[in-house]
Amino acid sequence: MSDHGFAVRLQGVTKRFGSHTAVEDFHLEVPRGVIYGLLGPNGSGKTTTIRMIMGILNPDEGSVSLFGADPDRTRREKVGYLPEERGVYKKMKCLELITFLGEIRGVPRAEGRRRGGTWMDRLGIGSWADRKVEDLSKGMQQKIQFIGTVIHEPELLILDEPFSGLDPINQDVLEEIVRDFHARGTTILFSTHLMDQAERLCERVCLISNARKVLDADLRQLKAAERKGVIAVEFEGPDEWLRGPEIDRVEPVEGGLHLLLRDGADHQAILRRGVDAGARFLRFELVEPRLHEIFVRHAGVDAAGDAGVPAGVGAAATFWEDDR
Amino acid sequence: MILPEVRAVIRREYLQRVRSRWFIAATIIAPLFMAGLVILPAYFAGQGEQADRDLAIVDGTGVLYERLAPMLEEAGWNVTEERWRSEVVTELRRAVADDVIGGFMMLDELTLETGEAILYTRSRPNPIRQLTLRSSVSRAALGFQLEQRDVDVEAMLSGGELRVEMLSAEDGSDAGDPQFFVAYGGSFILYMVILLYAISVMRATLEEKTNRIVEVIISSMKPWHLMLGKIIGVGAVSMTQMAIWLGLGVLAFASGLPALIAARPDMADLSEIAEALPGIGLIALFVGYFVLGFFMYSGLYAAVGAMCNSDEEAQQAQFPILLLLVVPIIMVIGVIENPNTPLSTSLSLFPPFTPILMWARVAGGQVPAWQIGLSFLLMALATVGIAWVAGRIYKVGILMAGKRPTVPELWRWIKEA
Repeated sequence: MSDHGFAVRLQGVTKRFGSHTAVEDFHLEVPRGVIYGLLGPNGSGKTTTIRMIMGILNPDEGSVSLFGADPDRTRREKVGYLPEERGVYKKMKCLELITFLGEIRGVPRAEGRRRGGTWMDRLGIGSWADRKVEDLSKGMQQKIQFIGTVIHEPELLILDEPFSGLDPINQDVLEEIVRDFHARGTTILFSTHLMDQAERLCERVCLISNARKVLDADLRQLKAAERKGVIAVEFEGPDEWLRGPEIDRVEPVEGGLHLLLRDGADHQAILRRGVDAGARFLRFELVEPRLHEIFVRHAGVDAAGDAGVPAGVGAAATFWEDDR
Repeated sequence: MILPEVRAVIRREYLQRVRSRWFIAATIIAPLFMAGLVILPAYFAGQGEQADRDLAIVDGTGVLYERLAPMLEEAGWNVTEERWRSEVVTELRRAVADDVIGGFMMLDELTLETGEAILYTRSRPNPIRQLTLRSSVSRAALGFQLEQRDVDVEAMLSGGELRVEMLSAEDGSDAGDPQFFVAYGGSFILYMVILLYAISVMRATLEEKTNRIVEVIISSMKPWHLMLGKIIGVGAVSMTQMAIWLGLGVLAFASGLPALIAARPDMADLSEIAEALPGIGLIALFVGYFVLGFFMYSGLYAAVGAMCNSDEEAQQAQFPILLLLVVPIIMVIGVIENPNTPLSTSLSLFPPFTPILMWARVAGGQVPAWQIGLSFLLMALATVGIAWVAGRIYKVGILMAGKRPTVPELWRWIKEA
């Protein structure tokens, strides 16, 4: 099959660092024009995957193609890349840095300056154009870097944890910009460990845990398919009935609990057991699971810690904390 | 011709550096500092308070003053002759005590025989002036004695002469002291400038790597192109700096030196420096040795910067390369003194040593043209080889985090890249 319909296509990609496998037999197909979320706890292999797409790392096995072609030839002009670790030339003036980043991707200087100026105005930092980057706050430097990422009007945006380090207001600004690019037909692939963000933005998601793909699906279909898996309850009275075999996990949410069910669980039986135990239900409802819950169902809470990856263990804990 | 992204890197590297305060300071102040280092001591040595320079001479021999006076005048003293009388001496003692004159010197029959004289003064003159006085007195006494024996005093006292007749077939002129100065000074400048700018390349590479901007840049251009752009950019900065230095130097000699000599005639010796200055051809060779030396070493230093993760690591890792530059600078005097021994010739043709050692021989003026041509050919080949190896290390290293590679790991990078 021709892969021209895909902005990104990974086939059987594996990357090892010494004895540690960072990404294993990974397949990914990002159709053109979608917003695609690459989700998973820190240390699960998101950044390694992105670095292989960007040619910063070479996969040990498997292949990468962008727009159905050799990535080395398409990358420069068609792809905008925002790495997780934010790097800038601190001594340069903001607009010069932006112009430079455009220039190495084939945007003429005058055009780069013009676009850079427009973007800086749009992001509310227009008055800083001639200031040195080091004079700016971290958040503003991140904006400069983002402008540098999109200055050549790429067809594919690859953003590694784009929302980390931004305050809520700027997270909203960035979200809006991402939607804007999407409306213009740009393909967007971004990684995040913030499930709420992904839930709002993505059309498709790919869940990674321990170097492996756990799930890869259209978000709306996924949620519909998983609908039977979560019950929202509010009740008064005893709660020992929650420890039944068909309930995998209990998650506190705003105004009650979410019960994550095992496959094939009978919710009627659960309700009956609750009533028998003397619980007075205010609410008992099959709900759309949150993305976070879907991930827990498929990967398991401990999944991130299993491989004994030092970076993953502590980080995985934060991952779950973040989401509550 | 040049890829637009490489041009962008060169342009950025050049403008960022040339506009920096550091560059302006180093370019303008360094030569002033160097000039100051050379000229000021000479100036101060000749300078003194006017009273110190007034010297009375009480000549008991009646023959020494006429010989001594011109020598001392030339060295910057104002001399007056006083008669050998006790009341004169008493008066002079008071004049010295009151700081009216700097001192007075007593010459007597013993001076004629042994060259011994007595200087009465309030403050001990500096060693150079003491030496000048001592040698002037002994030369005056010697002159008188020789004249008694009908000897050509002038010739003998000017130190005689050794005329060197070259019998070898090799072209080139004989190397005198000024050439030694140009050879040694030039080698040293080459050493400093090559090291300075090669290390700049290393630091720039390291900085890009540690702050991770390199990930963005590498995703839009080949690592090899980035390295090339940086080296050319930094190289252009160094050429700019040297052009400014050269311009300032020419300006200083064209206007400053005559002015200085006019103001202080006793420093007329400085005009000899101008005669020793290298000509256009030699300057072109100097630039040539610098450019190729810079390319060789900046390639090596870029590789070091790419494989390290911190300044400390880089400091250690650069040591073997630093040795390649330090060894020739240690050997340079030996090579200048024995420019055409087989050892000097072969060492100076070893490309990493060539900029410093071959320059030293060339500036001495005794190198056959074919050796100069060969040295450039070998350096060009070495540059290509280094670029190939360094480019591979750079490509792998620039994106590699973690610990510095061992030598076997480096070898694998070179093979696999």
